[in-house]
Order: sequence, then C-alpha cells, then structure tokens
Amino acid sequence: MTTPPADGHALLAVLREPGSYAAWSVTGRDGLLRLARRHGLLGTLAERLVADGLWEALPRREREILTGSRRVAAENARLLTWEVGRIRRAFFGSGIPVTLLKGCAYHLAALPMARGRMAADVDILVDWEDLPLVEKLLGQHGWRHVKVDPYDQLYYRQWMHELPPMRHWERGREVDIHHTILPRTSRLKPKARDLLQASVAARPDDPGIRVLAPTDMLLHAMTHLFYDSDFEGQLRNLVDIDALLRHFASQPGFWEGLWSRAEGLDLALPCHYGLRYCARLMETPIPAYLLARSNRGAPPAPVAMVMDRLVPRGLVPAALGNPPALASRLAGWLLYVRSHWLRMPLGLLFGHLLRKSRKRIRGHVWDRRAV
Amino acid sequence: MKALSPFAGLAVAEIDRRLAGPGLRWRSGPFVIQLRARNIPRLGEQLAFLYAAHPVIDPPWEEVADTHLDLIRSGGWRRWWRAQAIMEEDGARPLQPFPLDHALPLFEWGWNFIIASRGNRYLMLHTAALSPDGERALILPGLPGSGKSTLAAALALRGWRLLSDEFALVRPEDGRVMPLARPVALKNSSIGVIRDFDPKAEFGPLFPKTRKGTVAHLKPPPASVAAMDRSCRPAWVVAPRFESGAGASLQPMAPEAAFLMIAANAFNYEVQGELGFQAVARIVRNCTIHTLTFGDLSEAVALLAELVAS
Repeated sequence: MTTPPADGHALLAVLREPGSYAAWSVTGRDGLLRLARRHGLLGTLAERLVADGLWEALPRREREILTGSRRVAAENARLLTWEVGRIRRAFFGSGIPVTLLKGCAYHLAALPMARGRMAADVDILVDWEDLPLVEKLLGQHGWRHVKVDPYDQLYYRQWMHELPPMRHWERGREVDIHHTILPRTSRLKPKARDLLQASVAARPDDPGIRVLAPTDMLLHAMTHLFYDSDFEGQLRNLVDIDALLRHFASQPGFWEGLWSRAEGLDLALPCHYGLRYCARLMETPIPAYLLARSNRGAPPAPVAMVMDRLVPRGLVPAALGNPPALASRLAGWLLYVRSHWLRMPLGLLFGHLLRKSRKRIRGHVWDRRAV
Repeated sequence: MKALSPFAGLAVAEIDRRLAGPGLRWRSGPFVIQLRARNIPRLGEQLAFLYAAHPVIDPPWEEVADTHLDLIRSGGWRRWWRAQAIMEEDGARPLQPFPLDHALPLFEWGWNFIIASRGNRYLMLHTAALSPDGERALILPGLPGSGKSTLAAALALRGWRLLSDEFALVRPEDGRVMPLARPVALKNSSIGVIRDFDPKAEFGPLFPKTRKGTVAHLKPPPASVAAMDRSCRPAWVVAPRFESGAGASLQPMAPEAAFLMIAANAFNYEVQGELGFQAVARIVRNCTIHTLTFGDLSEAVALLAELVAS
C-alpha cells in the first residue's frame, strides 16, 4: 500500500472533512499531527474532530496528544480574555473602546472557529488621533515598550501600521497597537476610521469590547495574508479565512456586502486573492457570481499567472522530513521579495535594509535585545 | 498487541542501524518516542545500557508516536572541529547544541523539555515520585539542589518502585500518578554520594563540564520499568531539603502551604485550569505532608521507610 504524503494539502483536506482523518494510515496520521503542530493547527484539528463527533473513535494515544493541545488552547483563551479585561480597565473613563483584531477578536467574539486556536498577543485597533493617549494609558498601567532602540521606534512610528509593541511588565503579554491595517508606506490605503465606525460589540451584552464587522474582519485577514506576508508558515491564516467565510456565509447579505466593502476600502486586490485561493485550496463554497465579480480586482494577467503558481507552493507546506523542493524555495524567495515590494517604496526599503544589515554586521543585535 | 522486545534483546549494531535509518522507537511510561540519530558515536550503546529493560517497538507501527526527535551532527566546519549534536523536533531546534560527545545528556534533557512542554494531558509536578508498595506514591517536590533526585535514586536502590525522578504525571481525572521510569540524572557530588550509598548502583558514562556540571545517569531498576504501566495513588508528600550536617527530621506541613507549594512546583498548573485546582486539592486532602531536613542519605531513607510503615 502506498501512502500519500501527509503534506499541507492533506492537512487542509482533513481540517475540511475531519471524517477523512480515520482513513489515513498510522504513519499518515503521525505526519498530519506533526505538521498540524508545526503550523499551530493541532488544537484546531482537535476541536474539529470533537465538533464532528469523532473524538471517542480516535485511537487512545492520539486522543491523549490532542487532549494536551486542547487544554493549552483553553488556557490561552482564558489568558486572552483576562488580558483584554486589563486593557479595558486601563482605558476606563477615556471613552476609547477596546477594538480587537485577529485571533483575540475571534476568541472574544466566541466564533466557533476560534476553538482550539492559539493567539500569542492581543492586537487592538485605535484611531490615529487617540494613539498618544492610548500609549500613555497603557504606560500608566504597567505596559512597557519592548523595542528600545531609537531606530526601531522610529521605524514603527514613521512607516508601520502599528506602534512598537508594548509588553506588560508583570504578565509578559504583548499588546500590538494598530492605527490601521497596512503599513503607512503600503500601496493600498484602507481607512482605519471606516473600520472603527463599522465595528460591532464582541458580545451583545458588552458594548465596550469591539471587533470588526464580519466583512471587515475577513478583509483584514485577507489583507494580512495576501498583501502583507511572505506566505511562509502562514497556513493557519488561510484556514482562518476559510473558516470565517464559512461562518459568515449564513448571514443574510454577507456575500453581496463583501465585495462592495472591499472596493470601498481599497482592498479589492487582497479580497480577490483571498476568495480565489480559498476556493482553490480549501474548496470554500463561494458563490460563483462573487468569484466572477472579484476578478475585477485581479492583477494583470501575467502577474495572476505567476501568483497562481507561487501562492500554493509558498503557502502549503510539504510533508515534514521532506526538504522543500527547489521550486518551492524559489517561490518562497519570490514571495518574500514581493511582500517587501508591497510594503514600502523601493528607496525606503533600500535604506531600511541597509540600516538593518549594518547593525547586524556590527553585531549589536544580541546586546540590544530587550528580552 | 505485538510482542515487544526489550532494548536488551537488540544488538547495539541493530540499535545503531535503526537510529540511522527509520528511527528507534520505544516507550517509557505513557510516552512513545521515535529517535533518529546519524553519525553520533556511542549513543546507541549508551541508550542500550540505560534503557535496557524498556520495550522497543518494532515496525510496522500500530500507533502514532508522542515525540519524533532527531539528533543531528553539526555540519560545515563544525563537522569535524568541535563537532556538535543538535536536537531537532519536527523541523524546529528548541535547544542549544551540545558538544558531540554529550549527545546523551542532550537527548535526556531534550526529551524532558518536550515532555514538560507537551505532556499537558497530565498535571506535571516537577518532582520525583516513588512507591514503597506498588500502589501508594510518595511525591518529593523540591527546588534544584534540594536533593530530590539523590533521594529518589537512593530509595530506588533500596527497592522502592521508581515512578520518576523529574516528573510526577498526575492524571487530573482520578488523581493517580503515571510512572515514567526513565534513567535518573544525577549531578556533581550526588554521583559520588550514590556510589558510596550503594556500590552496585549502575551508572552510564560520566559527562563532565555540561551546562549543569558533571552529569551521570543511573539505570532505572528493571522491576520499576516492568511495572511502568501501573499507576499509583499519591499518599505522601515530602519536600526534602538537604542541609550539610543536619540530622534527618520530618516536620508536618500545613495543607494550605502544601497546596501553594505543589501548585507552584507544577510545570503546567495554570494550563489545567479547574482540573488542576481539583487535582492539587485532592493530593493535599489525601496525603500526609511533611518537610524533610536531612544531612545524611541513609538516615533520610530510614526515616521515609518509617513514615510509610506507620
């Protein structure tokens, strides 16, 4: 019997159809579990097996391994909830709501796809004009800057979409304070104020903790993956986007609203990519009319052709133990270059890389670590 | 179930062949490891000695493994000059490399590290644990330097069943301790202390100048390995404190202080959430709890024998 490789495609297929997990050989399941762990998807896999009623049928050792990952993920969710409460307390009386992004938002909004999913930090979005106050309030309540180097501070403040991260002195958790969702130097310019205005209460009974509206939550996830990353090790973000699409699909008007919102926020390109590659790699049930309409956001044909080849190679990992093929490494490198190209104009990028490499050569990197 | 051959039944050449090829797979307590190691001299022979009584699992495998570890020999100019052993797990390298001839301590610490970060199906107390009768467990929590590993080694050499020198794996559902009968790592002067305590103690090679000083591993008693599937019920908690020249004495400890000591001493108390709280509460409720000050190992062993007999 030949076993197909337990690669990223196989893992995606099992996440899509947890029932297919049992059809794998022991070696195959071993490879799938290891790959899932490597990509931060072990807890997600565990919860999907549970949700589909497959838990009791799992072999004992697999259940034990997955039990560990479920407990860790549950602890992570408790910590996030606690941390968000602390931030809210720091903001108390300022009139600034705590608007959460990414994994922390999925958890606080109690989305089913958040079960089993780990998130290391808390990401919040605040209005540009509120930044000085937010920084002051967090500083007063025990958060300290992690990046103490003046150039790093300048780099974040001048060019990034977030402040340099702050960490709580006692609990060690970081908060990333975003004022928009793409670097200031990026070619696309979504307006953060539009996102904040459309934000919704994470839970109906508590207006003080907010998350982005469903369409915006998706557009942010798509932008993050398809416009601001190099795809390396980002498989989980694709799984997130697929799960969010499937979750919100049942809301009336969701699909219709998604594309018009993408165009309105200047995020047509990442939305096009997100829909296209979710349909291709995750078989996400996206209405055909929307896929057709989203082609309006597609890049020029030669670029689209290249991306169709690069993205699956860069995003979906090979089976563990198999060194990536040359073509995948080349794809990874090209996508890495692309991610920087999109981030900032060439002149700026050149200066930044020069500065970084000079520091690296001078060997101060370790001395400057604040951790 | 397939019949399992113990390590001792395999020729060293066969162990080396498996290490260099598909991997050598064996089990200690609840954990199955698959280890691959290529071009690391003597490792196969050292493992064969220390894990002699452990069951090797032959392919084709009927279960997944908990851990897949690779020990890799450093490449480039480090291949021959000051060669290193590097530990890799699923493509990640969580620990600093060790000199090549320290591959065994690297492996032992590496496996400990993996268990401590992955064994979250259990409440993991950073303690030694032993059983005088095969049913009840003595838990020995203590900071590094408190003498818990030395005490564990001494008790194991006096016929107690070794459950673990490093982890008490508590099953949160029923509070029982699962054995993990791996070699006991002893450091510096405690190696000589145990040699003096029992000249028949079987040690692996001495590894001088590791990050924690000189290290040697005591082979676990074969009877402890043979019984490693039988869990025990915690009955005593004794927090040892070595004090040079002190006579051995036991002092009772208040349960509320014991609760904090045990919870703080666990690797993953918070991870277990409410289960962890309940598990520690159960230990505190059901155990006799003492601190033990001792300056002489034989005295301490005698006192503990008295404690469990009363």
